[in-house]
Amino acid sequence: MRSIVRWTLWQRRWSIFWWSIGITSLVFFTMVFYPTIRDQAAELNKSLSLGSGTEALFGGTDFFSPLGYLNSQLIYFSLPMLLAILAIGLGTSLIGREESSGSIESLLSRPVSRGRLLASKALAGTITVFIVTLISSLVTLLMCAVVDLGIPYGNIVAACFACLMLVLSFGALAFMITSTGRGRAAALGITIVYAFGGYLIGSLTNSVEWLKHPAILFPYHYYRTADILAGKFEWSSIAFFALFILACGLIAWLSFRRRDIV
Amino acid sequence: MAASIRIDNLTKQYRGTKVASLKNLTLQVEPGEVYGFLGPNGAGKSTTIRTLMNFIQPTSGSAQILGRDIVTDSVAIRRSVGYLSSDMAMYPKMTAHQFLRYMSELQERSDTKYQAELIRRLNGDASKKLGDLSRGNRQKFAIVQAFMHKPDVLILDEPSSGLDPLMQEVFYDLVNEAKSRGAAIFMSSHILSEVQKICDRVGIIRDGELIAERNIADMERDAAHTFEVTFADKTPVKELERLRGVKVTSHDEHHATVHAQGELPPILAVLAKHTVVQLEARQLDLEELFMQFYSNEGQQ
Repeated sequence: MRSIVRWTLWQRRWSIFWWSIGITSLVFFTMVFYPTIRDQAAELNKSLSLGSGTEALFGGTDFFSPLGYLNSQLIYFSLPMLLAILAIGLGTSLIGREESSGSIESLLSRPVSRGRLLASKALAGTITVFIVTLISSLVTLLMCAVVDLGIPYGNIVAACFACLMLVLSFGALAFMITSTGRGRAAALGITIVYAFGGYLIGSLTNSVEWLKHPAILFPYHYYRTADILAGKFEWSSIAFFALFILACGLIAWLSFRRRDIV
Repeated sequence: MAASIRIDNLTKQYRGTKVASLKNLTLQVEPGEVYGFLGPNGAGKSTTIRTLMNFIQPTSGSAQILGRDIVTDSVAIRRSVGYLSSDMAMYPKMTAHQFLRYMSELQERSDTKYQAELIRRLNGDASKKLGDLSRGNRQKFAIVQAFMHKPDVLILDEPSSGLDPLMQEVFYDLVNEAKSRGAAIFMSSHILSEVQKICDRVGIIRDGELIAERNIADMERDAAHTFEVTFADKTPVKELERLRGVKVTSHDEHHATVHAQGELPPILAVLAKHTVVQLEARQLDLEELFMQFYSNEGQQ
């Protein structure tokens, strides 16, 4: 198991590097301008009143208070969306690319069970997303300290952890779909629709009453970063993500262990 | 001694297809035997091999490798199996050395000295990226990864495709060495001369069914008793056919193909009575056997 994880990470080393550089740049440039905005926060909030519907798309907070800025500009949308692209890409390719290129035969001709292969690939993907999220989180913490945002570091760490769990859910869904033998394109399409559709539905539940019911089926509904940054961390949300990831993993294993590799 | 590979009524029908790709296939490969699996594209050779490797699941029937079931014990089986396909997909960004290290780590039972020896004998450059190598050079490393752990069973799908004649000879040597240490080798091939050269037995598959199995040594013996005779005068067909164990399989006015079983002196005595212009002992021609089975297809 260790070999597959190690070699998969080795194959993805440049991807990890460039994703880290990209997301670090995003965090840096988002946060570095905050001091110029902070002084005019109250006035900007008054003059730029977007309404609760639009605000909901950016995390349900104002845009210019320290918490509102961090949440709307980074934690609620930009960071999870970028990390989701990474996680979904990994989910579709960890098994999918091995299968489409045929290299999966090299692995399965060795004394490696399909369950072990699947678990190793899932672990390698999780480590990749974790490394990039960790670097993003550290840079976010650093920038928050530099611009003196005044939000407790523990809350920021908790929000980044929720972000990690959210994007792992999307990655797990893509991984499950490719493991059942659907093509990579199908996995990519379905997961993107589920992730972005869930974001829209989850964000609009305050404005559109009836969306509250379908929203509970989407991970974004449980991604309440404004509350987390304000110090209200809910383990039940994390439990949803964890159960969702485990369910995807279980379905992937049940399907992959006996299906034809064609 | 138990068979290294035992296949019993193995059937495979892919989902969504009406015809089975493999129909009640039954065969055995003994330790120290090289079994050649022949058939044109789509006959079911690769389906058989992929089922043995547990890449695809059988619809019915069973198979054992080294006494273990290919479905329930596939992981244990693969500790003792070497597998090679014709254009094996490897990782293009890895060097051959990295690829072999990766495969060795997964194999658990690898002999690094032997691996180095194989690379040397196949004249491979393991420092190059696999994506930069030609097909033939990649195939060398595919051979190395299949043989490096000295497996008890080798399952090879068109193993020498892409190799130049010199490397083909090295490959034949490797197969013979594996055979002499008791390994069972099951290989599919399109190259009939190769099969004739290294296999002990051949099976011919058509439309998923095993239609013939022949022992190469028996075929050679039979072929050695078949003569092409050209007479200066008229072919003495009746005289030849009167002999016990002699069959004239084809003839024209001056020429006959004569198959003789048992003692040769009686037939030589008949030939001595006539003016024989040319006498040739026939060589084994696997292609003829192959074509014979496949030409029947049209008639059926």
